[in-house]
Amino acid sequence: MGDASTPLTLEEARYLLRRTGFGGAKPRDLEQVVGLPRGEAVAELLEFKPSRFAPRGGDSSEIQDRWIRYMLRVRHPLQEKLVIFWHDHFATSALDVTDTRMIQQNKTLRLHCTGVHRSRSEQVDFMLPLRGNFKDFVKAINKDPAMMQFLNTEDNTKTSPNENYSRELEELFCLGVLDFGGQPNYTQEDVFQIARAFTGWRTREVRGYEREAYFDIDRHDYSAVYNATRGPKVIFKSTGGFLPAGQGRSFTVDGEGAPEIDAVIDIIFDHTDSQGHNTVARHVTRRLIEYFAHPNPDVAFVDEVISASNFDVDFDIRELLRAIFIDDRFYEGVAPIAPGVRKSVKFPTDFVIGTLRLLGIRPRRRDLRVNDSGSGVVRGYLRDMGMTLLEPPSVFGWNWETSWLGSTNVQERYQFAVDATRASGAGTASVRYSKLMDLTLTDPVTIVDTALAVLQVDDQFSGADRQTLLDYLGPGPIDFGDENTFNRKLRGLFALIIQSPAYQVY
Amino acid sequence: MAITRRQFLARTGLLTAGSFFGPGLANPFMRKALADTIGDRYLVVLFLDGGNDGLNTVTPIANGNNLGTYGFSANLRTAYNNVRNSIRLTDSNLLPIANDAGTNTPLGLHPGFAGLHNLYAQDLVAVIQNVGYPVPNLSHDSSRRYFETADPLGVGNGTGWIGRHLAANYGLVDLPAVSVARGGVPGEFAQTDTGVLAIGELRRFNFPYHSTSGSYAAENTRRDTAFLEMYAAASVSGHPSVEFLGNVGNSVYDAAQVYPDLHPLYVADRPSFNLSYSDPANIGENTFRSSTARDLREVAKTIYGVTQGYVDSRFFELRNGGYDTHSNQGGDTGPHYDLHNEVGTALELFWADITDMGVADKVCVLIWSEFSRRIGQNSSGTDHGSQGPMFLIGGKVDGGVFGKHPDIAQYSATFQNGNTRYLQGPASNPFRTTDIRDVYGTIMKHWLNVPQATVASVLPADSGDPNTRWTAPNFDLNLFKP
Repeated sequence: MGDASTPLTLEEARYLLRRTGFGGAKPRDLEQVVGLPRGEAVAELLEFKPSRFAPRGGDSSEIQDRWIRYMLRVRHPLQEKLVIFWHDHFATSALDVTDTRMIQQNKTLRLHCTGVHRSRSEQVDFMLPLRGNFKDFVKAINKDPAMMQFLNTEDNTKTSPNENYSRELEELFCLGVLDFGGQPNYTQEDVFQIARAFTGWRTREVRGYEREAYFDIDRHDYSAVYNATRGPKVIFKSTGGFLPAGQGRSFTVDGEGAPEIDAVIDIIFDHTDSQGHNTVARHVTRRLIEYFAHPNPDVAFVDEVISASNFDVDFDIRELLRAIFIDDRFYEGVAPIAPGVRKSVKFPTDFVIGTLRLLGIRPRRRDLRVNDSGSGVVRGYLRDMGMTLLEPPSVFGWNWETSWLGSTNVQERYQFAVDATRASGAGTASVRYSKLMDLTLTDPVTIVDTALAVLQVDDQFSGADRQTLLDYLGPGPIDFGDENTFNRKLRGLFALIIQSPAYQVY
Repeated sequence: MAITRRQFLARTGLLTAGSFFGPGLANPFMRKALADTIGDRYLVVLFLDGGNDGLNTVTPIANGNNLGTYGFSANLRTAYNNVRNSIRLTDSNLLPIANDAGTNTPLGLHPGFAGLHNLYAQDLVAVIQNVGYPVPNLSHDSSRRYFETADPLGVGNGTGWIGRHLAANYGLVDLPAVSVARGGVPGEFAQTDTGVLAIGELRRFNFPYHSTSGSYAAENTRRDTAFLEMYAAASVSGHPSVEFLGNVGNSVYDAAQVYPDLHPLYVADRPSFNLSYSDPANIGENTFRSSTARDLREVAKTIYGVTQGYVDSRFFELRNGGYDTHSNQGGDTGPHYDLHNEVGTALELFWADITDMGVADKVCVLIWSEFSRRIGQNSSGTDHGSQGPMFLIGGKVDGGVFGKHPDIAQYSATFQNGNTRYLQGPASNPFRTTDIRDVYGTIMKHWLNVPQATVASVLPADSGDPNTRWTAPNFDLNLFKP
């Protein structure tokens, strides 16, 4: 059994950085982590000063480009990996939401995901949490102008409560339809009553492009008027494990009106499932494990990291991540592909941005091109791999794992591999192979090993796949001084590795 | 492996399995072994994603005159006017179809669905009212999964209803199914290790560096060999998602030898139909790139490819999103109108196309949505509901109105009873609901010619209360002409 004091092997260090960064780490970063106790290495990863970046742009494409550019250069990729996770979790689409609201939401996700570093002047601003707290995060999402537009909180009024947000708040953001024991976590009545809490909330412009939520008392559903027909403002009468059984919880405990939406969140975070566990903690922990480690994690994995981090009480995101990255089960994906090894399919963002980072390619022009053609735009590759940033397919976010592997999607991965490895020329994005490896190498075995190491998969390639690459290269000595050999064999070798099955998984 | 697609096309006529690919690679797309089950038939499944408002799709025009055992509930237009105000469809704008049989209520399609109505007028459309499943789930995700698996009580393993059929009849990588989508394999087709093709656009469906002529020929052949070796190894790696990846890589490589050519073939042979789908005069100001017209054209191209002996794809899936009309739904005009208009127009163009190809009697289109919406509206839209209409289009479909209109008069002003009840029960039940599995089973049995016993194994009956469970399957709905 490993724990926080267990030193990281080279393979484990690589895996940790692959999962928490884009694609992998530069040898320099890797050296700093190998041999460190897990606890120390993870602390290094987590104790970054959070950035306050906002991807400003005039339209969805421009916002995507700004965000991609930032991800290509960011010093602490874990924060951006988390922003992508929360963007997927609290999915909101620019197809239905004003661009400026999407920019503001992107910043909100970044500020809340692991906590924000407060400047001196912000010490008194209690809206900004010192550490990422999931309960505060959800309360902030309640009032996020993009979310309020996307799931119609702005249209939710006393005369006709709109259930769109309240349903997804329960189904997707906090509880899940069913708990781990297959029992329902909420009823249709709960959806409706929670919708009543959100009646009256609207948004208005504040400064620059930003908006803020405000409470319009005239549009709120008050008990005195509506309880006669709509019943009491009580939720979880038949689920949630609240005692005494059958009475549920009232969300007017802190007063009627504006306080109701925070009270709803407090109650939801007290919800326990049919197995007596905190429902929110299990729901979001499973999701984070699926994102950072592997699909369908054992219940024991979920429960252990919750208990180790006290997440079901504190809801501190950083502490939960620390527990996940220290747990033995996290490292079940370290070994190369084999039956029983916990492999997970790379997100398009990891595939594309990770590859560009590993190859040192700086896409050119405002729209970030890998080559001079209009088809070489980074955002376009992501789109055709099934992941248009800011435009998740629905409120459910993206579908992960084998859903990333539609025929068109994998073809785009293969095409990107060719385009990226071919990138060359004055004034355009280029791979400078001479910076990646020693081009005077002549021995095919050494060349294959070196290329695999550059792409951080030398420990992931099977002997058979290695032999395939050697057969492709042909007998040595290889002379990369020869232009034809360089253009075909070297670029071809890198393209094949990027297209390989092993490179499609973490 | 070195043969080019051009050479390949030049030598095609009718292809037989194994004539093209080398040993060790099954030839997935040339198979002509389908005759036993579906013969020369096609099934196109169109998903209206988001929950289409059924009550504003098949709508009472006036009250029925057969109160009989139904009582006040037969006054469907009165009930409709009570529950819909700002999104109400004007009676005179509705496009008339046959009456609801039980209540003799005149029904009409949404004015935006003129395209579908034109097909209806040609006796090509079955309107199946009030289709659902026991214990309606108001979650998009859960309900969509129930429709896709046809397993609402969750007793199976989560595979799709068509996927189970495919798995029983075809090998791992030779599935005659194509999804027109940017994403992965749709739920209907899901089963273990599928190699279903998911193609966004045929024109862009290309395996890179396929030029096998000129100075790169030998080099590209070596790359292909290396690629195929790695993917062949992945498909027997013993790791489920990596095996899936291996199968996808192999099938994509194979399909890329043929499928991209279906585009120029179609464009060359059917220029006017090709242009019709994107012509603003036909589709208005819709964004063609993301439209149902564009996706249905990809289906038409593929079907044309089948008729010309290039491929053998028989099952298609596509979707049109945007039906989650919680707000700003509109009535006689507006977003819901635009959605229906886009889908209806695309279907009409598609139908003209395949009719001209001579295969209209061979094609069946099934249109579904994960649920209908709440009977009572909210401020400007509708929240999630339960049973709703399905549509079946085809040259062999027996056009008309089937099933029974939902019991909207039973709706009360409060939320609790805001959904249509699911009641199977006896056929004499005034508001009996049709189960999704009766529709699927009828399609399998009467369209795909799957034997009754096989259908029953793909769609096993529920146990429990016959009023609220699907205990008596009926795979013989009269949806097809004899």
